[in-house]
Formats: sequence, structure tokens, C-alpha cells
Amino acid sequence: MLRLTLAAAGIVIAGPALAACELDRPVMFADLNYGSAQFHTAVASYIIEHGYACEVDAIPGDTIPLINGVARGDADIIMEIWMSNPAPAWLEAEAAGQTVALGTTFPDSVQGWFVPTAVLQGDGAVAPGLKTAADLAEYKDLFTDPEEPEKGRFYNCPAGWVCEEVNSKKLMAYGLDDDFTNFRPGTGEALLAAVEAAALRDEPVVFYYWGPSWILGKYDFTLLQEEPFDKEVWDAMLEAEEPTEAVAYPAGEVIIGANTEFASEAPALAEFLSDYASNNAQTSEALAFMRDNDAEPVDAAMEFLKTQDAVWTEWVPEDVADKVRSALDAS
Amino acid sequence: MDFDIFPDFGKPVRQVTNAFVKKLVVDYAPFFDGISAGILWVLLPLERGLRGAPPILILAIVAVITLAASRNIVLTVGIVFATWLLGAFGLWDQAMQTTAIIMVSVLISIVIGLPLGVLSARSPTVRATLNPLLDLMQTIPSFVYLIPAAMLLGLGKPPAILATVIYATPPLIRLTDLGIREVSRDLVECARAFGASRLKILTSVQFPLALPSIMQGINQTIMMALAMVVIASMIGARGVGETVLVGLQRNDPGRGLVGGLGIVLLAIIFDRISQAFGKRLQAYREVRS
Repeated sequence: MLRLTLAAAGIVIAGPALAACELDRPVMFADLNYGSAQFHTAVASYIIEHGYACEVDAIPGDTIPLINGVARGDADIIMEIWMSNPAPAWLEAEAAGQTVALGTTFPDSVQGWFVPTAVLQGDGAVAPGLKTAADLAEYKDLFTDPEEPEKGRFYNCPAGWVCEEVNSKKLMAYGLDDDFTNFRPGTGEALLAAVEAAALRDEPVVFYYWGPSWILGKYDFTLLQEEPFDKEVWDAMLEAEEPTEAVAYPAGEVIIGANTEFASEAPALAEFLSDYASNNAQTSEALAFMRDNDAEPVDAAMEFLKTQDAVWTEWVPEDVADKVRSALDAS
Repeated sequence: MDFDIFPDFGKPVRQVTNAFVKKLVVDYAPFFDGISAGILWVLLPLERGLRGAPPILILAIVAVITLAASRNIVLTVGIVFATWLLGAFGLWDQAMQTTAIIMVSVLISIVIGLPLGVLSARSPTVRATLNPLLDLMQTIPSFVYLIPAAMLLGLGKPPAILATVIYATPPLIRLTDLGIREVSRDLVECARAFGASRLKILTSVQFPLALPSIMQGINQTIMMALAMVVIASMIGARGVGETVLVGLQRNDPGRGLVGGLGIVLLAIIFDRISQAFGKRLQAYREVRS
């Protein structure tokens, strides 16, 4: 009798289990601390939670610690690995077989040095001749650093971001390191604060930034030209202690990374993530939505899922798509 | 029933605050640039002096100050050694920058805090109004006002000094208030009986007797200012905090530890010197509060 009950209970549990999560623990996302990654993490989380009936969770942190976390298995999925300047931590983890690259979050990111368009064009343009990054040497007085008035101020990335090293090398390569202070803002938010303040006040400012991002969408900035990307020159520039040549950032593919064990334990989820394919435009739209409506990444994710049905249903089987749609309708 | 017992206060507060900050950034730019320039006008020469001076000179100055304040050779040797260690850890330049920021912040804190502490001691109304404000200043997470401050004052040292002053002034105000209020009523009455004016009572009786408390307040202000150096580095102020922050961001715990040790060394140096000065200033050491 006991055996019969247990067997019956087993069947009852096994039935819905076919439609349940492949993992018996929450799926852990790496919660990167910037907008585009948070948006894509929210989209993937929503689909996995409502379409694949898994619990989801996220672990916050900075890029390098999170990549190491995925390699170790503390996190399963990281939604943005920028292949244009990949972190050594990622390359090592991939080479060691701890992580695997899945789909492409977006294939067309942009990175570079920006100045307000009003500085370059239109009435009152104070630097109409400024076209390339190398030209900056003549315009250091335009971007005066209040703490070191003989030099201009170049807003680099916070220390610890891979772009910080790249930009520092570029400053040397363009001969700007004596004329400009290599200003590390400390945090991404501080960089945004400085750039937005300058944009609101119509003041000149030269800074590194990337797209997709809301700041490039909201205010009018122009990318400073550099020599077209060349892999040999790029690698030499990164190797050299004092590089003399530099080229533009490569057009950026941004991919999804996952822990190898997770990918083998959850093949359906891994397949979904491999088919995941968004782009710069969709991401920037989402970021602008978050900014204008004071919305959280999960709100932008739901907006994307509701309005871009044709896009995301390509990434999942029909039944998963139906479950996600009914969850959206119910919310 | 779709009724929610919670009205949404959050959204209008957010929108009003954002609009307010934006208005300040755009319309009051010259005013805030002026404040920033004023702070830098005091800070930059000091920083240049500290960074440019040969380290031997700085060590000598530290030795002279410590000896004059404490009259204690052992302490002086210890403090000079601690200062020398900063350089030995490769933190000399950063330590000089942090010292300049601390000195200017503490100076501003004293200029604001002492008068407010005295007022608070004399007027229950002032104390009642000030107390919640001081609580706010000490507990509010710095980043709440730091990003707007960075937008208004520019990135770098000025908002760092603002944040440090906000965090470090309350202990000084509270301890000054406490010290003055704790001066024995009998003494004050005695002085009044001898015909002393209120101002004279304040300067000749209350202030000197409150000195232990006030010096403790200044010491606490210095310590809390040092506690802010890492936060300061998050908005672009250089210094020892930057070493810690870079250690964190580059996943380099060794660098973070070195920076942390630097902060501890600076704390010891500032603490010992200010305590020694405090003892020297207390003429009435036999009179315990």
C-alpha cells in the first residue's frame, strides 16, 4: 500500500516536472551594474522565470569579479561580455573550459571618445576644426581641468574597467598625456554626472563612452574620428609601454557567457541563450524608456517583451513563448 | 477590489528632486562654479606645497610639530616613522593629496561646527532644530547627495570636501554643545556674580573648561574625515582612497590592503598629533568635566 502511494505520488510529481525547471535551484544571473546589461538580464530572467518555470536570482558586482564568479560557478549566466576589449579574466576562463560563449546580446556596439556636437558644429561652435582624437592637442584650453588649469581634462573610464587601460594607451599614442589629465571618475555614475552636467550647461567636455547607452541617446554628442580599426596596430598598442600608434575601437560584438556546467545541466536554457539575439537599437530604446519613464530594468524588459513579440519569439520554442505571453497579460 | 492602502509618495518626490537638481545645475552654474573655485583656491596651493616639498622636509615638519605638541621623544619618533612608512608603501603622493583634502575639510568643519555647537549649547530651540539635521547628516548614505554634488561642483575634490564636511561636522557640533553645557553651573554663576558679560563668560570660563570635549570633537571630525576618503575617490578625488578603490575594481586585494594600511597610518598620525595638541591647549587639566 505504501509502495503504491509512493509510486502514485511519484507519478503526480513527475507529470508537471516535465514542464518544470531543469535545475532544482535558482538560475543565478551576474547582475552587472550598468544599464544595457541590466536590461538584458531582466529580459532573460523574465523569460526563464515565466517560460521555463525556473526560479531566478542575481548576484551584484563589478565586471571582473562577476566574470570570475561565472567561472567558479557562483553565477550561471552573464549577459554581456564585450568582445571588442574582452577582459583577460574571461579569456582565461574560456580557455580553461570553465565558461562557454552562447548567443549575441547585440553585435553592433560603439565605443570611443565623444564631445558635444554643439562644440563642433552650428552657431557658436568653438572648435569647428576638431575632427579627430589626435586634434585634441590643439584644444586643451577648451577642456580645462579646474584642478590642473594648465591641462585639459579627459574623462576616462573608472579604474578597473578594461576600457580604462585602452584609453590610457590611446592618450599616450596620440601624444596627449602631457596636455590632458587622465581623469578616472571613480564610478560610472560619477562619469555620467559630469557628462550630463556639461551637456545641460552647454559646456565643452571630452570623454569616453559607449553605446548603447541613454546618455548618447538623450544628448547630442559626436564621436571623434580615429584611424580605422587594425588588429595588428591594436594589439601592438596594448602591448607597448608607451605606444605611438592607435586606432579606433573595433565594432563591438557583445555576447552572452555561461558557466560550462550550467550549460550542460540545463540544455534547454542554454539553447534559449544561444538563440538570444538583440541589437544596439533595441537596447538603446530600452535605455531611453528607462530614463524617460523613470523605470526599472524589469519594466523596460516587460515593455520590450510586450511590444517586440516578433523579435523574442524567435529565441524560444512556441510553448515557452505562450507561457511568457500569458504571464505578460496577467501582469 | 483594486484598492491599495499605500499612496505613491515616491514618484512625485523623485520627479520633484530630479527637476530641482536639474534647475540648480543649469540656472545656478556660475554660483556653484564659484564655490568650487573657492574651495580649490584654498586647496590647490596647499596640495601643491605638500606634494612638491621634498619628503625630508615634510618629515622634519612632522617631527617638529609632534615634539612641540607632546614634548615626548618616543611619540615623535613613532609618528615620524609612521609618516616615513607611507612613503615606503609607495603612498607618499596619495597621502599628501589626502592630507590636503582632510586639512581643508576639517578647517571648514571647525569654522561651521564650533559656532553652531556654541549656539546649540545656549539655545534649546537651536538644539532641537539641529539634532534631526545632524542625525541626517551622519546617517544618510553619501551617494544620495554625492551625485548631485558632482553635477553641481564638478567631479573631483570639491564635492569630496563637501561630502567630508557633511559627514564630519556633526560630532564636533555635538561635543562642543556637550562640553559647554557640562561646565559647572556654579562656576558660571560665580563668574556672573563677579560681573562678567555673557561673551566674557563664554570665552574665559565655558570655552576653556569645555576644551577637553571640544578637542575630542575635533579629533572625531578628523577621524570621520579619513573615513570618507574611499567615498571621495568614487567621485574622482585622488588620494589614498583611490588606491583602495582601484584595488577593489581591479580585483587586486593586495593593493586594497596597502591603501587601507595607508589610511590607518594617516589616522594614527593625525590622531596622535591632534590629541597631543589637545592636551597642550588644556590649561585647566585638573578640572575634569
